[in-house]
Amino acid sequence: MEKADHLSMKDEPEVQGEPTKTAVHLSTKDRPKVPGEPTKTGTSMVDTAAAAVQSFAPLNQIHQHLCAFHFYAYDMTRQVEAHHFCSHINEDMRQCLIYDGPDPNARLIGLEYMVTEKLFMTLPDDEKKLWHTHEWEVKGGFLFMPGVPEVMQRQDLEKVAKTYGKVFHFWQVELGHELPIGLPNLMMAVTRDGQLYPEMIKETEKQFGISIEKERESRAYMKGPEHGIHPLANGGGKGLKLELREVDIKPVESVPRVFV
Amino acid sequence: MASSGDEDQVPPGDPVTVSTLVIDAGTKIMQRRLPVKQMNTHVSTFAIYGGDMSRQIETHHYIHRVNDEFLQCAVFASDHSDAPLIGIEYVISDRLYENLPQDEQKLWHSHAYEVKSGSWAYPRLPEVVASPELKNIAKTYGKFWCTWQIDRGDKLPMGAPELMMSPQGVGQGVLRPELVKRRDEKYNISTDELKQRRAEIAEPEWINPMADYWKQHGKCFVLDIVTVEMNRNEKFP
Repeated sequence: MEKADHLSMKDEPEVQGEPTKTAVHLSTKDRPKVPGEPTKTGTSMVDTAAAAVQSFAPLNQIHQHLCAFHFYAYDMTRQVEAHHFCSHINEDMRQCLIYDGPDPNARLIGLEYMVTEKLFMTLPDDEKKLWHTHEWEVKGGFLFMPGVPEVMQRQDLEKVAKTYGKVFHFWQVELGHELPIGLPNLMMAVTRDGQLYPEMIKETEKQFGISIEKERESRAYMKGPEHGIHPLANGGGKGLKLELREVDIKPVESVPRVFV
Repeated sequence: MASSGDEDQVPPGDPVTVSTLVIDAGTKIMQRRLPVKQMNTHVSTFAIYGGDMSRQIETHHYIHRVNDEFLQCAVFASDHSDAPLIGIEYVISDRLYENLPQDEQKLWHSHAYEVKSGSWAYPRLPEVVASPELKNIAKTYGKFWCTWQIDRGDKLPMGAPELMMSPQGVGQGVLRPELVKRRDEKYNISTDELKQRRAEIAEPEWINPMADYWKQHGKCFVLDIVTVEMNRNEKFP
């Protein structure tokens, strides 16, 4: 693969919301550095004390690291390697924090909710289009759990293949943003071959020592949602974008208040 | 649960099965989950919906300090193990904030009042230990996107994210006393007492008027989901 296909983030011009014509994605080496002074000893001591005495029940539930790829719901050509750290809130729903890498100082760039088909079907039609399918992400071999034997991964991914996901990203790291500026973006995931950049996939395979092609064969037996992929999911095939609107705030007198 | 006091199950769904528990236990051992382990501070505070400032919620921030001027937080509705993940907040220093474009500055809220009034609290952490950090936080700005509106009864995350505002001492920013009282009882703290003890924390010399945009301008922001032509290099889906 020719290196020329990669955009060095330093050279990438600021894209102001317009769809881009060239490939936009990141290799891990190019990720922007967050500006700011290094943590002072005084503040790190507060962190240490807090970590010792506070409780972290919601975080302790985060049991799983999934790696996959997302692209923008209005621009497939902007693609991001997404590291999901997930907890089961119950058997029918997972919630995941999304980082741009597996390392300790990875940026928290978004979140994803994953629900079973059963729950997805209860959503209003307008809501369904915001959710994407996981069938091809799993069956195609693109979604994997770093460090977990494939046989064990498959036991869980059989379930994931039938689910729907809703992802928002708040930080456009692939544009080189050093800070999380701009609006949230709804994201989608791979539904067929030819969508993801081959050089991006190759790099991920190399970094995590996996073979998507090989794993695809092992997952051929898996099935997607029982009722098939819902036609309204995946944006209903349309691009979706979030736009900011200014609204008047209600005068305080109209706000119901209970004074004790 | 957040602020509704609703005992209904959020979200709906079956209890986690044994086979799932076994897989989860296995991956938890085998996978390092390094970024998640960096979240080592729990903050209890409150937030207000930009789209409807009559709606106020209790929030639980789990904070990862990336450096002295930038924090990234996972925000949950409670501190229980099955707490819904309701959003993400970023916190930056006043220095980084001043360098942002003006249109971006409008999306951020100030933290001075939240700290000084005692809303921003560290459960179980002695106030004297938290004190140096409180001085830092008072000067920061936050940008909080809420993705699951449990207080309005959403069983599942619905719609677009909401931009959240911080509590303030005036107008729509004033917190409902019963919301604060419930939090205080849970953690056996007194917001009023924290407020008095924090009187000595200096007010920032300057809070940028672009922050807390609603205070100066009487306007807030909401997100609309619009259908557009998708820029694509292959068919979708």
